[in-house]
Amino acid sequence: MDSIDLSQIERRARRKYEWARARRAVLGFAPSLVLIAVAALLNKHHVSAIAFGIALFVVGSGLLWYGRDVRRAVLPGLAMGLLPLAVALCVNHVGHACLGDRCMTLCVPACAVGGLAAGVGISFIGLRRKQGWPFWVGATLLTLLTGAMGCSCVGYGGVAGLSVGCAIGLLSGLVQRRLRHSR
Amino acid sequence: MSTEPRPQLDSLLVQLADGERAVFTQVFRILWQPVHRLCSSMLKNDADAADAAQQALEKVLTRCGEYDRKRPALPWALAIAAWECRTIARKRTRRREVPEDEAPVLGSGSEEELAQRELMLAAIDALGELSEQDREALVATFWEEATNVTGATLRKRRERALTRLRDTFKRLYGLD
Repeated sequence: MDSIDLSQIERRARRKYEWARARRAVLGFAPSLVLIAVAALLNKHHVSAIAFGIALFVVGSGLLWYGRDVRRAVLPGLAMGLLPLAVALCVNHVGHACLGDRCMTLCVPACAVGGLAAGVGISFIGLRRKQGWPFWVGATLLTLLTGAMGCSCVGYGGVAGLSVGCAIGLLSGLVQRRLRHSR
Repeated sequence: MSTEPRPQLDSLLVQLADGERAVFTQVFRILWQPVHRLCSSMLKNDADAADAAQQALEKVLTRCGEYDRKRPALPWALAIAAWECRTIARKRTRRREVPEDEAPVLGSGSEEELAQRELMLAAIDALGELSEQDREALVATFWEEATNVTGATLRKRRERALTRLRDTFKRLYGLD
């Protein structure tokens, strides 16, 4: 047994462990490819939807691979991101609303409202499950990337609307979290 | 082997499955000895035992996400090791890897040894046909590793696993 180089065996096992985690993470996040494909098909700006979709897939798989607390953010983040995505894709097909002579695109306000709802949702889950900051960061990132696949309908203005809405939604949760910790 | 590291191993394996890399070395070090010992006792060959133990540990660590948190970790890991021993023993039989100089010399002692070895390989083969739970029960019993059950439940489980092992042996080799 003395002749066995344990550290070499351990290194090899560690490499395989990381590969196995990465494989499981990619497979675990693979169903989101359907969502990305649907979003890319329904969005008028296919390229930006695909770009955000790729980013979403990389970040989601990365969070699952990393594990620990942050992996718990994957499902809530993705689910909350569906709100702005669905709203934006629906509004994308309505286009704009006119009141008399004045017309306005509905995408930006829809994304802001969707982002607000998603932010409130993340706050609710984060506070209820007493999650740490990795959860909040991970879930917010995934929500923004998921929502951005639809909110890129009017360029980066929609994504900005989504981000502002989400930030406002998160604010109340973060304040509550801070108050809870200071007690 | 002391009983102390077992509950610790269970929680460490759970942590590792959750992605806590800091416990990797600890899990590896706790598992290496019992896994290597099991492989040595099953394969009776140092090189094969080291190969089997290495491959078994790699499998245990890469499959830690599949570990059932309600069950003790060590029998689960040893069941995987027993399966790995079976695979290596099969390969060895198929390729006839035993070199000339290591081949047993004819004579009553070596014949007995050879017969025992063949029997062991057959038993490992039959063990591999059983379910994971049966394998865990038998491995835990015969290699004195703790399971999550004791007393009458363990006896009953072991009895059932032995009956199934006997049936499998009979089915595979046509004898008891």
